[in-house]
Amino acid sequence: MSKKVMLVMSVLLIAVFVLSACAKTAGPAKFKACEVTDTGGVDDKSFNATAWKGAVDAKEKLDIEAKYLESKEIADFEKNINAFIAEKCDIIITVGFLLCDATKAAAEANPNQKFSIVDFAYDPVIPNVLAQAFQTDEAAFLAGYAAAGFTKTGKVGTFGGMQIPTVTIFMDGFARGVRHYNEVHGTSVETLGWDADAQTGLFTNDFSDQQKGSDMAVSLMDEGADIIMPVAGPVGLGAAAAVKARGNALIIGVDSDWFLTAPDYTDIIFTSVMKLMDVTTLDAIKAAKDGTFKGGSIVGTLANGGVGIAPFHNFDGQVSAELKAELEGIKAGILSGEIQMNPAFKQ
Amino acid sequence: MAPILQLKGITKQFPGVLANDHIDLTLNQGEILALLGENGAGKTTLMNILYGLYQPDEGEILVNGEKITIHSPTDAINAGIGMVHQHFMLIPVFTVTENVMLGSEPVKAGDFLDRPKTAAKIMEISSQYKLEVDPNDYVKDLPVGVQQRVEIIKLLYREANILIFDEPTAVLTPQEADDLFVIMRSLVKQGKSIIFITHKLREVLDVADRIMVIRRGAVVGEADPKQANRNKLAEMMVGREVNLVVEKDIKKPGDVILSIKDLVVTDQFKQVMVDKVSFEVHAGQILGIAGVQGNGQTELVEAITGLRKSVSGEIKFKGQSILNEPPRKITELGSAHVPEDRQADGLVLPFPVAENLVLCTYYKEPFSRGVVLQYEKILENSEKLVQDFDIRTPSSLTTVGSLSGGNQQKVIIARELSRPIELLVASQPTRGLDVGSIEYIHKRIVQKRDEGCAVLLVSPELDEVIELSDRIAVMYRGKIIALLEAEEVAKETLGLLMAGIVPDKIEKPQGQRVVETTF
Amino acid sequence: MGKKDLEKQDIGKTILEELTGGEPKEKRQKRGIWKILQIPALAILTGLIIGAVLIMATSFDVYDAFKVSLWKGLGTAFAEVGEAYLALITGSLGNPVEIVQALLYGDALDFRNAINPILESLVQSTPYIFAGLACALGFRAGLFNIGVEGQLFIGAAAATFVGYSLTGLPPYIHMPLAFLAGALGGALWGMVPGLLKATTGGHEVINCIMMNYIAYRFTTFLLTGPMSRPGTGGMPVSPIIEKSAQIPQFFKTPIRFHLGFFIALAFAALVWWVLFKTTLGLNLRTVGTNPRAAKYAGMNIIATTIIGMAASGALAGMAGANEVLAVNRSMAIGLSAGYGFDSIALALLGNSHPVGVIFAALLFGVLKNGATKMMVVSTIPIDIVTILQAVILIFVAAPAIIRSVYRLKQPKVEAAAIMLSGWGGVK
Repeated sequence: MSKKVMLVMSVLLIAVFVLSACAKTAGPAKFKACEVTDTGGVDDKSFNATAWKGAVDAKEKLDIEAKYLESKEIADFEKNINAFIAEKCDIIITVGFLLCDATKAAAEANPNQKFSIVDFAYDPVIPNVLAQAFQTDEAAFLAGYAAAGFTKTGKVGTFGGMQIPTVTIFMDGFARGVRHYNEVHGTSVETLGWDADAQTGLFTNDFSDQQKGSDMAVSLMDEGADIIMPVAGPVGLGAAAAVKARGNALIIGVDSDWFLTAPDYTDIIFTSVMKLMDVTTLDAIKAAKDGTFKGGSIVGTLANGGVGIAPFHNFDGQVSAELKAELEGIKAGILSGEIQMNPAFKQ
Repeated sequence: MAPILQLKGITKQFPGVLANDHIDLTLNQGEILALLGENGAGKTTLMNILYGLYQPDEGEILVNGEKITIHSPTDAINAGIGMVHQHFMLIPVFTVTENVMLGSEPVKAGDFLDRPKTAAKIMEISSQYKLEVDPNDYVKDLPVGVQQRVEIIKLLYREANILIFDEPTAVLTPQEADDLFVIMRSLVKQGKSIIFITHKLREVLDVADRIMVIRRGAVVGEADPKQANRNKLAEMMVGREVNLVVEKDIKKPGDVILSIKDLVVTDQFKQVMVDKVSFEVHAGQILGIAGVQGNGQTELVEAITGLRKSVSGEIKFKGQSILNEPPRKITELGSAHVPEDRQADGLVLPFPVAENLVLCTYYKEPFSRGVVLQYEKILENSEKLVQDFDIRTPSSLTTVGSLSGGNQQKVIIARELSRPIELLVASQPTRGLDVGSIEYIHKRIVQKRDEGCAVLLVSPELDEVIELSDRIAVMYRGKIIALLEAEEVAKETLGLLMAGIVPDKIEKPQGQRVVETTF
Repeated sequence: MGKKDLEKQDIGKTILEELTGGEPKEKRQKRGIWKILQIPALAILTGLIIGAVLIMATSFDVYDAFKVSLWKGLGTAFAEVGEAYLALITGSLGNPVEIVQALLYGDALDFRNAINPILESLVQSTPYIFAGLACALGFRAGLFNIGVEGQLFIGAAAATFVGYSLTGLPPYIHMPLAFLAGALGGALWGMVPGLLKATTGGHEVINCIMMNYIAYRFTTFLLTGPMSRPGTGGMPVSPIIEKSAQIPQFFKTPIRFHLGFFIALAFAALVWWVLFKTTLGLNLRTVGTNPRAAKYAGMNIIATTIIGMAASGALAGMAGANEVLAVNRSMAIGLSAGYGFDSIALALLGNSHPVGVIFAALLFGVLKNGATKMMVVSTIPIDIVTILQAVILIFVAAPAIIRSVYRLKQPKVEAAAIMLSGWGGVK
């Protein structure tokens, strides 16, 4: 018995090595755009997914090849980047601030390899890395203002996945938008879950457990909030579920337009604070393909359309024309620099 | 008419051991055939072959003259062969009926279990063979002897004609054993045939129609119980002359080694198990503690050896208090302990013999230097003790768990007695062992006593206590109700004392005391 | 067995004995290496076959090809599997053609690149070795240390802190110091459930799980607060560990092969020596196998339990320290995706023996490393490897399945499963 099995196994092994010797790379080489995700994985319904959407868009529009590698833990970052370097990818897109060290090290070791990192900016810039950063607070400011104008209870809420700058920038913009509404209208709408002055607030400390999002939303609703902005990736969907179950509150989506990406919850999505990483990623890939790639950073702002606020969709009819007009005015104010964002989050 | 069962030339080889060597066996209908042999002689292997648990390397099995092959217990049951295991195969939380029907459950309309039908059949079997049992009792509530009856009913329910009893009396009290023998006789009277596996000579002589003796895997002879003599049988079993009576001189006891005063010990439920017990053990003296199990002996021994905390009183070893001291300290003062449950307390079964032989001394020179174990010395020690104490093991590296019970006990005895000790606490040192091992262990204990060691012997086997002890204490419900010179007391008196009855005056034995061990 | 035989006994033989449970010599020689390896080897083979079926069943190309014709479908299916497994093997063990070419014609750099897959597999195996040893040691001592993951996080945090906060130390002091800080962190974390078990009887499994939660949250707090890299505004990334504290990598990037692998092997040897050659080891194993006999023999069960958990935790802490000091050079959230839980499987796969653990860790490292290449080449998700590992483990844990599939004989004495003793209720 044992001999037979040994025989089969050795034959298999030999076959594999013979095959490997004959293996050839087939077809003409296409331009390759390769994404390394952070530990959230490619379907995190957050920045990894959005950046991957940019790569997929590029694949369709630019006739290129797009690949991704998921990182399970931080030690995978370097390994995955190296795997793509060995695979001779034309541009490697790394997603998230967690990859900043690994991207920097690989970029410095391979000066001819083009990189683009999502959600992080290097100072000083690295010549072969195009950093994508986002002034998300500009869009969140608008959302906060709109929420303050739309709330019935006089209370709005937010919570984050973790107290880190890319998350708190949303919450900060939101809270300051609410405050601005109060200053303009003399109201006293409260923001629950984030204190812009003390920089403290509610966090799930988790980007994957939807139950925690649900728990957060329930407590915020219990406190009286009727519009909630969860800044915690897929955990936010848990909040949406809780809000939908309760039936008397609304959700503001983040990163993408949730009206489109979370169809289960269209009836409770007030609006979304969009951080259009797919657009910037597509731009980076395009630049690399066209030969116009330059290191440095692109900052997504209201001005260049890198961030924005989604339409009100189902609630469009309920939002007053005045509020819409005011929002346009604020947008103009932000563009002109009349309304200043929190300098702590200046990219 | 062909005999109901015939085994021809059954041979079974295990790596390194020839467990069965061309065994021929014939069982006639309506007889009790006793299969007598020491532990490890190959009786159980033979029966496992018959029961389909092993396949023989050679030989054939004939039932009613027809050759059959048995691949599994199911085949065996279909051939009418049933086995009452030493350890019962019952589910305690099920009723007798449920246990009996388990595996061949009758059903009635709609796939419901038909309990009443089984219960009725159990009653029928029960009255036919005088196996008193209530089908609705839960097995966990039944005494061991009745549980065994349930096992027998299970076989009869499946219409077994050949019943194998594997060491059935090992778990029974003497009274229960006598009841079993009545049942066995009643079974054969009604046409069943029985193979009775045992190593206890008295039982064989009491109940068997024919005796077959197995030694080292081979049949060494047959005997007729009406003519056989115990010494002769023992000799056949062990393969040499066996001295069933321990020879020991009267010795003058020396100094007090162990003294216990007003000792109170409770069990884990805070129930008082040892109630103000006081006694002394002298050097060169064996103090036997007789008593039915569960009267506080276990707790007493554990308190003395440091395994259990005492509530009050004093325990002094060589004048020094050892009350509530850790076991290692007591051991280091020069005491040895042969524990009651050798597998649970005395040995680490998956460890090799060599390591078990240094379980209490491994941390000392020469077995370790600093923290480093000196395996060369440990193995040397093991080789020596294996030789000195006649431990039958393939090697010092064999796991203790794969040795027979007798040899496991010898490992403990070797470990405990090879140290320089002044006190030996031996709790049921021969429980479940075969003649050869019992004889050997008794000899060793007496030898230690002769060397001047104080020995505290605890055993529920009255014969063992009487035979070995210089003084006997009878323990009943946590108290010592009598403390007697062994020479001055009759067995019957002790029996009464064990039952808690104190005779008006303690009778002296008439004439010369002759006590034989009942194996 | 005489004295002469004793002298002849070498380590290899001793290991064989321990793996086979110290059976008599005659038996052992008959069993041989194959007998020990057959179950794991066949489990791997079966796992690969099941993995192949999954690859075929989840590929759209295969479905499309089947629509064309049966033969085309089958051809595509086998081509897909072939491509995937080829990538798995070349990605983890290197491409033999490339290695030979590099040897014959290439320079040193070519050669290094050609053998990088093997070296990378060793890098991937290193944390598995440490974590597997942690769990195996626990099992031997009768402790089910399910808290390896938490101990690993704490160990990594401690090593990171010592690694970046102390400056100006020479490498031969700083590196060991940071590494030992990791071990100490893990040991302290492991000691808590040990203490609770020894003194109050609280089951270590529950307490370990609770300690895991505390460890996750505590390290997140540290990373977003006190240990956050200055200038990042609270990003959960620690400062970069000082060069002097880093465990050196032997080659230039991208080859990550580092000294940590050899440290892991050294600790495996140390664990083996402690377990099987010292009084402490005998204490641990006795308490683990039969605590009543340990009490009878006068062993200090309380101390042994605490030492066992602390030692297990120390090894787990080393796994974390190794990752931050040798590979990541800083700590961030997402340090481990379950090394601590895989370690239970590793210990089981390796029969709780250090040598077995090394082989099991190598297997896991090879699979994990090969999976990256597999994904790059054939876009088969890395998760298939997780399934592969799971299937292999199921077969190792339930050898009866393998025996019945391959019609192997049932061994006479089933080796007592050491790991189960950890669940034993009465202690």
